[in-house]
Amino acid sequence: MYTDLSVMIAGKAGDGVLFTGNILAKILKRQGWEVVTTRDFPSNIRGEQTNYTIRANLEKIHGRGDSIDVLMAFTCDAVKMHVGKVAHGGIVLCDGGRRLDISEKDSRGKVFHKFLLRKLARDHFKDEIFKNMIALGALSYILELDFRGIERIITETFLKRKGRDIVRKNVQAVTLGCERAKKIIDPEQKHQIKKKKDTNRLLISGDEAIALGSLAAGCRFLAAYPICPASEIWQWLAVHIPRFNGIVVQTEDELAAVNMALGASYAGLRAMTATSGPGASLMMEGFGLSGMAEIPLVIVNVQRAGPATGLPTKTEQSDLDQWLHGSHGEFPRIILSPGTIQECFDFTVKAFNLAEKYQCPVVLLTEQDYGQNLRTVGRFDLSSVKIDRGRILSQEKLLKSKDYKRYKLTRDGISPRALPSMKNGLHMVEGNEHDERGYRDETVENRVRMMEKRMKKLESSTKDLLEAKVWGDEDAKIGIVGFGSTLGAILEAMNQLKNKGIRSKYFQVRTLWPFLIEEFQSFAVRCKKIFVVENNFTGQLKKLIDSQVKIASETTSILNYSSQPFCPGDISAQIEKSL
Amino acid sequence: MKKEKDFHLQDPTWCPGCGLYGIFSALKRAAVSRKMKPEQTVIVTGIGCHGRLNNYFRAYGFHTLHGRALPVASGIKLSNPRLSVVAVSGDGDAYSIGLGHFIHSLRRNISMLYIVVDNSVYGLTQGQTSPTSARGYVSVSSPYGAQESPLSGARLALAAGGTFIAKGFSGTPGHLASLFERGLTHKGFSLVEVHSPCVTHNKVNTYSWFKERIQEMGKDSDYDAANRDRAWSVLNADEKIPVGVIFEEKRPSYEELVLSGKEPLASADLNIDRAEFEKILDKFR
Repeated sequence: MYTDLSVMIAGKAGDGVLFTGNILAKILKRQGWEVVTTRDFPSNIRGEQTNYTIRANLEKIHGRGDSIDVLMAFTCDAVKMHVGKVAHGGIVLCDGGRRLDISEKDSRGKVFHKFLLRKLARDHFKDEIFKNMIALGALSYILELDFRGIERIITETFLKRKGRDIVRKNVQAVTLGCERAKKIIDPEQKHQIKKKKDTNRLLISGDEAIALGSLAAGCRFLAAYPICPASEIWQWLAVHIPRFNGIVVQTEDELAAVNMALGASYAGLRAMTATSGPGASLMMEGFGLSGMAEIPLVIVNVQRAGPATGLPTKTEQSDLDQWLHGSHGEFPRIILSPGTIQECFDFTVKAFNLAEKYQCPVVLLTEQDYGQNLRTVGRFDLSSVKIDRGRILSQEKLLKSKDYKRYKLTRDGISPRALPSMKNGLHMVEGNEHDERGYRDETVENRVRMMEKRMKKLESSTKDLLEAKVWGDEDAKIGIVGFGSTLGAILEAMNQLKNKGIRSKYFQVRTLWPFLIEEFQSFAVRCKKIFVVENNFTGQLKKLIDSQVKIASETTSILNYSSQPFCPGDISAQIEKSL
Repeated sequence: MKKEKDFHLQDPTWCPGCGLYGIFSALKRAAVSRKMKPEQTVIVTGIGCHGRLNNYFRAYGFHTLHGRALPVASGIKLSNPRLSVVAVSGDGDAYSIGLGHFIHSLRRNISMLYIVVDNSVYGLTQGQTSPTSARGYVSVSSPYGAQESPLSGARLALAAGGTFIAKGFSGTPGHLASLFERGLTHKGFSLVEVHSPCVTHNKVNTYSWFKERIQEMGKDSDYDAANRDRAWSVLNADEKIPVGVIFEEKRPSYEELVLSGKEPLASADLNIDRAEFEKILDKFR
């Protein structure tokens, strides 16, 4: 019996790799397993190689593993590409008549089967499209999946959209695949998995968790421009937000998106925009306006690999510098980084609260690996959501005030907001330097005063920010630091090290800006060696740390700019080597 | 009942003779006759001399970034459709740096009055050539004469699916007020392009230059603003500058089509229905 298992489905774009993978992920989730999917897709529709890995574990996991146990390949090329990653004892099924030309080194200890999916589909259903369900059937034999469960998922998937006949045919295809596999695969080569109860969990992507979080936070307006890998956020909201009377606007570009969200927020709505690197570059201008005019704004950036168009469907953590330093001039900003799917939901709510409380832009920085891949997570709890709208004046209060000033100087820098349509609250919001009433004022005294007022909000905000989370052995002398979606690989790397007798702990930065200096310092002083793990070339988090804190311990970067998420072994091997 | 002085915050300090005075006066008149209230009105401006309108016109005001008045105004209107939203841009704002927003706002058709103050020059930044400057126009940015053809906002608007396209002249504030009024009454996006002389930097397109060329459409009693072909031919006649409502079409506004709640979103309860939320979560089981 297996307790950890990775299945890769690989083929060409257009082969239905994603579809098959999603169904398998759902089956495994319903059998009580913790699931993480990793989709590795080119940014085109048809033709190029793609693959989808479903990793399942009886315990909680957050990321992909180091190897593959079962490879279902729709093409011989896919076998050649991925066979190196197949574990000892692994099984490879290939839909291809060609003789596989694989080296002795790569094939040793692995089982290969020719499995003619397309031919079977043509012979039995006169349609190659059924190859995916035949493949699923073969996998159900190898993994000993619950047939009833598969039937149920097929019904859920097809009954409404395609009708009973298609459901029946798909179920037949699964049965066919299972029977055919039974004939050619020795029971000893099977990778049976245990069953566990599926208790109150979701299988969801980070993008969807953010969309759900925004709904729960009271966001009723999203303006965005299509972009990988953030489109899922608004495409999902576009379906569900009208039920709550909200709207999604597809804008002409990201300049419009950020400014429209600003307009909606200024008028009193909780508004958001979502994008990725190239869109983020265009949004820099509006980002600054949010800071200067003190209009709450939530921007989600699901990072992909850059620069320029870069690799639109691949993961990276290379936009941190842009959000830290981007847009001209200086203004307060908050940058949050969720490290789990639960945090994608929770931090979205937090982002809206912080944006309104401190009347500044809040960036939710995630990555493609979280955005587009599915993970199991406990059911989100609406009662954990608290909406805090900050200092918005009521009409009654405003009527009592004698001389309303939108940018009134206060001790913490936060001025009460009046919203358009309120009586006695007329004011002006300005991108130019302005006085307390919002009218342009370029005098030196005013400039200094207002600059300090805005920046003061950052100091005021620190008590409300998300502290870092420390994982692992608190007394360990080896410290790992990172943020976002590298968490899964880091936690498993720590386990691998532990098995070798090396103790370590992980400092998960959850607020990237303002950088919480003290908490980092108290972590760092108790480490002998610190490793900063990040998915980029220049070590952006390490540069940030170096700019904020003086640390005595030796600090080393572990970087991955391959456009692929880290594997646990990449991290543990580098740490082990440098000890 | 509000009077013009209720919308007058302070006396403007534009250059004496600037066309913006006529626009300011016309907008106040239109606000009174449309029975608008300062607190129910938002004036959204871009960057340029027109941007100072917020300092003079008494209402809620949002002075945005260069070229971005329209997306900001769109967000405001969708958030609270009960507000009267007036967006104002110059020709640089509307037809150069913000041109993408211009075209898409026309096809989106969100209800607002959009005033484009066209003086064919970048006034605030000392008189550079603008997208509506004539070919050959000499300025600090085109000392040997501009080599690009000028752009016609109204023609673009008609091609982009605009539902209300009007042209006015800041030298005739009374007529201009009537255009603003009609624009504010129209359901959907109302463009009023105003020829507005820059007395400091543009020595070509002066008041008298305009007076010689302007032709008022209202005087032509058989002119039918619902006739698209007619609108094309009027806008294509280069020798004359037509003023008046050039084209008007009835089409549902964007906010009518997409907003489903009874109350404006800006005042809606943000807590969501638990049963609905749980139903959505069930999709991820």
